[in-house]
Formats: sequence, C-alpha cells, structure tokens
Amino acid sequence: MISMNKVRKSFGTQTVLSDVSFETRESEIFGLLGPSGAGKTTIISILTNQLAPDSGSHKINVSSYETGLMLDEDGLYDRLSCLDNLHVFADIYGIARKKSREALKQVGLGDAAKKAVSQLSKGMRQRLSLARAILHNPKVLFLDEPTSGLDPNTAQGIHKLIQGLQKQGTTIFLTTHNMEEAVRLCNRVVLLHKGKIVEQGVPMEICQRHNAIKTVPDLEAVFIKMTGVGLS
Amino acid sequence: MRSVKAIFIKQTKDMTKNFSVLIMFIIFPVVAFVMTEFVARGNDDIPDTMFTTMMASIFVGMALIQSACAVIAEDREKKSLRFLVIAGVKPLSYLLGIGGVIFTAGLLSSLAFGFIGGFEQSEFLAFMAVMLSGAIASILLGATIGIFAKNQQAATGLSMPIAMVLGFGPMVAQFNEQVENVVGIFYTQQISVVVNDFSAGLTQPLTVIWINIAVLAVLFVLAYAKKGLS
Repeated sequence: MISMNKVRKSFGTQTVLSDVSFETRESEIFGLLGPSGAGKTTIISILTNQLAPDSGSHKINVSSYETGLMLDEDGLYDRLSCLDNLHVFADIYGIARKKSREALKQVGLGDAAKKAVSQLSKGMRQRLSLARAILHNPKVLFLDEPTSGLDPNTAQGIHKLIQGLQKQGTTIFLTTHNMEEAVRLCNRVVLLHKGKIVEQGVPMEICQRHNAIKTVPDLEAVFIKMTGVGLS
Repeated sequence: MRSVKAIFIKQTKDMTKNFSVLIMFIIFPVVAFVMTEFVARGNDDIPDTMFTTMMASIFVGMALIQSACAVIAEDREKKSLRFLVIAGVKPLSYLLGIGGVIFTAGLLSSLAFGFIGGFEQSEFLAFMAVMLSGAIASILLGATIGIFAKNQQAATGLSMPIAMVLGFGPMVAQFNEQVENVVGIFYTQQISVVVNDFSAGLTQPLTVIWINIAVLAVLFVLAYAKKGLS
C-alpha cells in the first residue's frame, strides 16, 4: 500500500533519513515511532509529496485525492466556523456538503459546528483537523502525532475513531512518540532513531524478541535497549 | 473550476471577518467621500473630482497590493495552503480564487469611487476600465510579493515601500513635473492621468497599464517558478 525503499534525506549537512525502507499492508494501522527529531514528519512529508527525497524511492498505491492528512500544524482557517472549514474541502473534493456535518459528528464536534475555529481548544482543533482528514473517506490516512498534547479522554476518543476507520478498510499511517498508544493501536510498527530504522514488526513480537514484556508489552524498554535513549 | 469556486467562497467568507483587510476596501472611498463633500464641493479652487482621483490611485496602488499579499502570506504562514495543495488544488486555481475575491472587492470600491466622483456616463466607463485594469496589475504584484514573503509581517515589510511609491507617486506627480515623468511608467499614474483629463483619451494610458500587467505577469511566473506556493 505504502512503501519506502532506501530513502535518504538531508537538510544541509544534517542527515535526517538514512536508508529508510518499509512497506505497509492494506487496512492496517502502521506506526512510525520515535522521539522528536527522529525523522517521522519528514517521512510523512515525503510520502505526501511535500518533500523530495535525496535518493531512494517511495510509493503509495492510491491517488492524492484518496489520502487524508492530519498534521501538527493544522492549517485551519481561524476566522471561519468549523463547518465552513470543512465546506471548503467538501467543495474542493466535489462531495455533498452534508458530509461536513457527518464528519463533525464523527469526531464529536457536532455541537460546535457554528463555532469559529479561533475559539476552539487544542483538543477540539485536533478533532476538527481529523474531521477534515476523513471528510472524503480516504483510503490512506496519515496522522502525525494525532493525540500529542491531548487529555486522556480526548485521546481515547481519537483512538476509538482511528480503530473504527481501520474496520471500515482505511489504511492508517500513524506517527507517535507514545509507545503505549502504539502498542494499543498499531498492527505493525517501525522504530526510528536519528533517521534510521532500528527495529520493525508486530509490537508484541518485537517486545518478545527483546524480552520486554512485563505485565504489558514494553516498547519503550525496547527503544531504550536499541538506542540508549528514552522517548522524551 | 470546482477548486476556484471553493477558494472564492472561502475567501469571501474569510474577508468579511478579516477587519484588517476589509477596512482597506472601505476607508479609501470613505475618505474620498468626506474630502469631496466637505472640502472640494463649494471650493472653487479645488476640482470636485480631485480627492476621488487621488484616493482612487492610492487605493489601487496600496490596498489591492497589500490585501493580495497579506492573504497569500497568511495562508502560507499558517500552512493552510499546504492542505489545499495536498487536496489537489492547483496554484493557478488558488490564485484565481483569491484574486477573484480581491478583484470583486476592488470592483465594489471602484464603483463607490465612481459615484463619489459624480462622473458622466462615458467618464464613468473610462474610470472603471482603468481602475479594473489597474486592479489586475496590483493583484499580480501583491501575489508576487506574497510568494516571497515568509510570513505576514514580512509581507507588510516588503509590500509597503512598493505600495507607497505606486500609491503616492501620482499624488506627488501632480505637484512636480520630474516626478510625473518618472512615475509615468507606472499603472497607477496612468489611472490618475485618465481621471484628471477624460478628454485625453484612453488608448495610451490603457496601453501602458496593460504593458505593466504583462511585465508583472512575467515577474509572477518567474517568482512562482523559483519559490512555488507551498
């Protein structure tokens, strides 16, 4: 579905990605894990054609129209209402405007439809950003740190939504530095450190390989073992 | 076309809530009205249309450049443009949508100037022809500056000196022949030339304005090729 093959990327003298290779499968939640600066957002930028790699290749088996994107910088129109923000994209995609309301309800923002984006909390902005990403029922969804900075309740709501989308057949490409989130959500993960993949596979199997199952699988322990550093 | 319409609707809604941009389309006609009604009318030494022509040139040279530039710089700074591009919006569609709204707002302000000036029908048509041609030139220039500006603050810094020269050049030219010769190549001066003497004809001023548009269009294409939009 999504693949990268020996991708390298540098900014000036700083190498951000070194020979990154992976492949995702259809309808899975694929996690890209690593601390800040590991290269996660750069990988999403390359996969969504916002950045060109220096070398290597990448591929997504769907058109850009069939992808949805949620980034940390949400790009929402602050002066417009939640509904109007979604209407812009409904009009661009050529889908019925009633889908905007449905998407807002899906992320729990049905009551805030008329509220200006500038009046939303960070959690509500995140959810609106997610609503925009899923508005056109994309086949592939890129989520860059979707629950970063959110309270546990809101994060749990987003987790449920992500799992629901997977059941509907959406392939989800998720970046996070929250190992618990990765274990709970992801079918397979890649551990990324300083632009290099240090481990990849099914979370439980990775933890078993590295004897990192205590009461629950401990991916953080694997990461520390592999890299010598924690995630924060 | 679908994307152009979507951007046009978005920008229209946004502009009605963006006071700092909206005010530019209101303040110049209001000042022209106040100066015409309370200073020019009843004063034999001042032509009735003097403040309308002055404000109209400044409006085209300042308000339209700054609004085009500010809107594009804001969309880039807040990364909104990135999401449009990823959704498949082509740069030309984006610019047509944004430019269309600014052009429409410019048209409404120009109509207001036209009524304040109290022009006869033929003069009114000539006035609108040069104002709207000038609007196209200003939007192209504003979009070019918006491409280079990293954020809204930088956009203001870049556009202000250019807008000052284009906006106030025609006013200074009324009092200084040397300045008049220099600013004669600018489209804003040609607007002033037409409106100050409708009997002189439209051919030469419109030719100069459309040469300006052609040059600015080339500049815009070069700027876009070098920097892109997102």
